[in-house]
Amino acid sequence: MSAPDNNQADNIIEARGLTKRFHGFAAVSEVDLDVRRHAIHALIGPNGAGKTTFFNLITKVLQPTEGTIRFNGRDITAESPAAVARRGIVRSFQISAIFPRMTVAENVRIALQRPVGTSFHFWRPESSLDTLNGRVDELLDAVGLLSLRDQTAAGLPYGRKRALELATTLALEPELLLLDEPTSGLGGEDVDRIADLIRKVSANRTILMVEHNLSVVSKLANTITVLARGKVLAEGTYAQISTDQRVIEAYIGGEE
Amino acid sequence: MMTLLGISPQLLFGQLLIGLINGVFYAMMSLGVAIIFGMLRIGNFVHGAQYMLGAFGAWYLLHLPDLFPGLGLPSLGYWWALALVPFAVGLIGAGMERLFIRRVYDLEHAYGLLLTVGLAMVIEGLFNVGYGAAGQQYNIPDSLKGGVNLGFMFMPYYRLWVIVAGIAVCIATWYTIERTKLGAYLRAATENPDLVRAFGINVPRMLMLTYAFGVGLAGLAGVMAAPIYQVSPQMGQSIIITIFAVVVIGGMGSISGAIFTGLMLGMIEGLTKVFWPQASTTVIFVIMAIVLVFRPAGLFGKETVAAHAADMSTARPDSILENGKLWLVILGVGGAILPFLVYPVFGMKMLCLALFACAYNLIFGYVGLLAFGHAAFYGSSAYIAAYTAASWGFPTEIAILSGVAVATVIGALFGWLAIRRQGLYFAMITLALAQVVYFYAIQAPWTHGEDGIQSVPRGYLLGVIDLSDNMNMYYFVLAIFLIGFAAIYRIVRSPFGQVLKSIRENEPRAISLGYSTERFKLLAFTLSAMLAGLAGGTKAIVFQIASLADVYFMTSTDALLMTLIGGVGTLLGPVVGAVIVVTMQKEFATLGSWVIVVQGTAFVLCVLFLRKGVVGTLEDWLAARAERRRIAAGGEPAAIARGAH
Amino acid sequence: MSAQASLAVRDLQGWYGESKALHGMTFDVARGEVVTLLGRNGAGKTTTLRAIMGLLRKKTGEISFNGENVAARLPEYIARRGIAYCPEERGIFASLTVEENLFLPPVVAEGGMALDDIYALFPNIAERRNSQGTKLSGGEQQMLAIARILRTGATLLLLDEPTEGLAPVIVQQIGAVIRKLKERGFTVLLVEQNVRFASRLADRHYVVEHGHVIDTLTAADVAGDLERIQNYLKV
Repeated sequence: MSAPDNNQADNIIEARGLTKRFHGFAAVSEVDLDVRRHAIHALIGPNGAGKTTFFNLITKVLQPTEGTIRFNGRDITAESPAAVARRGIVRSFQISAIFPRMTVAENVRIALQRPVGTSFHFWRPESSLDTLNGRVDELLDAVGLLSLRDQTAAGLPYGRKRALELATTLALEPELLLLDEPTSGLGGEDVDRIADLIRKVSANRTILMVEHNLSVVSKLANTITVLARGKVLAEGTYAQISTDQRVIEAYIGGEE
Repeated sequence: MMTLLGISPQLLFGQLLIGLINGVFYAMMSLGVAIIFGMLRIGNFVHGAQYMLGAFGAWYLLHLPDLFPGLGLPSLGYWWALALVPFAVGLIGAGMERLFIRRVYDLEHAYGLLLTVGLAMVIEGLFNVGYGAAGQQYNIPDSLKGGVNLGFMFMPYYRLWVIVAGIAVCIATWYTIERTKLGAYLRAATENPDLVRAFGINVPRMLMLTYAFGVGLAGLAGVMAAPIYQVSPQMGQSIIITIFAVVVIGGMGSISGAIFTGLMLGMIEGLTKVFWPQASTTVIFVIMAIVLVFRPAGLFGKETVAAHAADMSTARPDSILENGKLWLVILGVGGAILPFLVYPVFGMKMLCLALFACAYNLIFGYVGLLAFGHAAFYGSSAYIAAYTAASWGFPTEIAILSGVAVATVIGALFGWLAIRRQGLYFAMITLALAQVVYFYAIQAPWTHGEDGIQSVPRGYLLGVIDLSDNMNMYYFVLAIFLIGFAAIYRIVRSPFGQVLKSIRENEPRAISLGYSTERFKLLAFTLSAMLAGLAGGTKAIVFQIASLADVYFMTSTDALLMTLIGGVGTLLGPVVGAVIVVTMQKEFATLGSWVIVVQGTAFVLCVLFLRKGVVGTLEDWLAARAERRRIAAGGEPAAIARGAH
Repeated sequence: MSAQASLAVRDLQGWYGESKALHGMTFDVARGEVVTLLGRNGAGKTTTLRAIMGLLRKKTGEISFNGENVAARLPEYIARRGIAYCPEERGIFASLTVEENLFLPPVVAEGGMALDDIYALFPNIAERRNSQGTKLSGGEQQMLAIARILRTGATLLLLDEPTEGLAPVIVQQIGAVIRKLKERGFTVLLVEQNVRFASRLADRHYVVEHGHVIDTLTAADVAGDLERIQNYLKV
């Protein structure tokens, strides 16, 4: 962690001039973005604003056409997705990313397993991973899935799948948690449950999330960046953003 | 006479001409394969058989009066064949699309390849039954007899015609696809078939016609090839693997790339024949390996979205049929009794092939990669074990382990090359790499070509137990099988196996959890090659022979078929599949070439109707029965209401 | 209204795999009308268009177009009855030139717009007719996606978020285009998130949530009470 400096915020992510072009079409164009440590930072914007593309750039699923990304001051622009994950940037997916035919407990354990260092040990029995069970159960308990630990993940209702995905992500103890529309496709109660969960896990952690549900954003996020047409339109707190004329226009359509 | 590097121009240009002719056929064929793959996402393995149909079609037309005596049919010559046969073969292609291929569009790509492998086996097997291995002569048409002396070489008119006509057909095809309205439909449907349908275009019919066109092109190539090569049932089998390599080298997405690559590689092959004849059969595959290292997408290929491992497993992890410890005991006891029920040599064959299939299942079933070259590991281990035992006098167990070691090294190398590409490409690449081993085995002196290494001594186990006794040998093989079976169970249910499972089920997610999935896949592939080597080495000792059949691609096909029939990704599937296939081969042995037809039919039927295999289906049935009983006893249905929002 | 309805959707239920996306959509679009489906992301608007077009396979309910139930029909059949689709992602084909893209959809009936009229409506496209389809800007791609379904003689246009991700000046142009299309007698079913844009164009709005219609608004309703509609979209 860098030395405390009152003039300069302690940023976990510093993206500079980030641009991604597809067939000449710039989905993300010269975006500068700082994410403060321990913030819950939301990325919002109308459809097609480039939020998911930006997300994919940060997690290195896509390689930027131009620009740099620094994580804890280190340039990670050229690193692979798996390497970035090992550094502590872990993402969730818009479509729930679970391992459908593994049990709920196995889903979480696969994430806990990597730091143990035996992932290439093909000669060890699976029971060598039993030492992780305590931690698995803790994580499942935190998201309310403990009673379903031996169920096959595919059979869970959608909301539970999202919770499972979050538990798996948290298992990695990510320093930076990237959530891609954590409440999309969820019903009312499930939305509240996931929002509570996000708040709960945000302690000592930085969260960058793409979210459409503005009520969730207003409750959770302390910084909001509005993207429109691949560029940063505005940045600030919910109060600042929600009264910004440019933002309102971007959302419900500009004057003709 | 002037010479070049000690080589006469006649030889040089002669071979270049032959290379160019081959290149024309490569171009026409890979064009068809590339179009079919681009539009239908089908790796059309039956393309070689369709090419063969073209050649036979020409031959049939010529021999109409002999084939149907008394009907007064005329003998139709080359030009008639050129006009009629491509349409006829295309029509057959349309029928095949309608009856078979259409049914697998929505399935994993692997099934398309498996289906066309089966169809190729059926067609080629049938012609084998009818005509055997001997080729039929087809004469150059009178109008194209003779040639012209170019000064530095003699150019036969027919060859000139093939080059000009072949290239013209390629260019016309390119023009149609890249520059016409019809081509625009094809290109658009390749990108987004749903949207093209939503514009009112009957895409299913277009797919059928595209397939028919690609197949017709193969038929045309077949007619043109008839006067140059022998018309034989095998003519397609040898060319299709080369075509797959050409397609990998050229890369997908470029029609002109396929044409250019085909021509180039034919000429390079011709030049190699001049300067290093031994290497000419493998040069294309070696080029493929080099291209893969430096340009994984191929020379003209566009960057494609990485396809990920496919979950084709049919197992239910909690099924009693997946309990490895239980089944290890059952198989041990059953295996111990077996030699009292069947002839021990037959039992040993079953065990060797069952181990081979189990090894194959490790990569295909548990990782989801369609490997298509396991014969290379099985066969190379067989050769090494046989050679070290026969020529160097290695003790039996050391000989087998030597074979395993070599198979492991080759496996690691091939895996490293192939793991860069996924899906159908992975299959094509492993298939092509395995061909290198096959051609090496044909040419190397120590493998004794067609004869193979014979009279391998079985030796004494640990220097004590006489393995020439069939019962002793049997129990040794049973022990090896059980060790291999247990090893696979352990691998699958290890921390490593857990990661493999996660890769198979959701590779992007596994990557996002920090796993470098390619390394895991490579290790799994190497382990699979090692165990396949164990099976091959053991087989060489049991049967006291290592031969070309062991490295031939049909052996890879056997592994696939056994796994598929038994149940992909199940614990017992490969064993059950081996029992079925070996029994089938024994029962139909008297039918000669019909065995291939029967196996091909089994492939087709499995892909269409029994994708879960015997064991997968059984596991489903057991689970459904248990669920019914539980509900009958007053239990709640297991599945929670599926999320609807 | 149903008597002369061009499109009548009744109790449409639809699934993506095992997850249910449409829970009984019911609405009408009369001939010559511009009607929007409003709603948040994931509400089922796009799915509804895909279902009408026959691209959503697993569905129940009735979709009648000019009196004929086409719910069980294939997309190519539905297109030939006169429904044209402009998808959210625009679907410009990268391997086709602008002109090839424009001429791709076959003519399904008489009465389509003439090429000159189309080029007059979209001058940019005329200029760039020989470029590669995806070399166009986002706005030009959207114009092309609309332009190519006007030639075909289709009478009902399904437009999925034509303003998505576009600059205000382009949004204005697209609005003008849709207005002209209405004047020419096209029937338009529009999916939108841009309420202000929609409110200036449409005769009626259906608010969609969780795969069914929760409210129906007339143009007058919206003009008088933009707040009400914003509430639906903003939570």
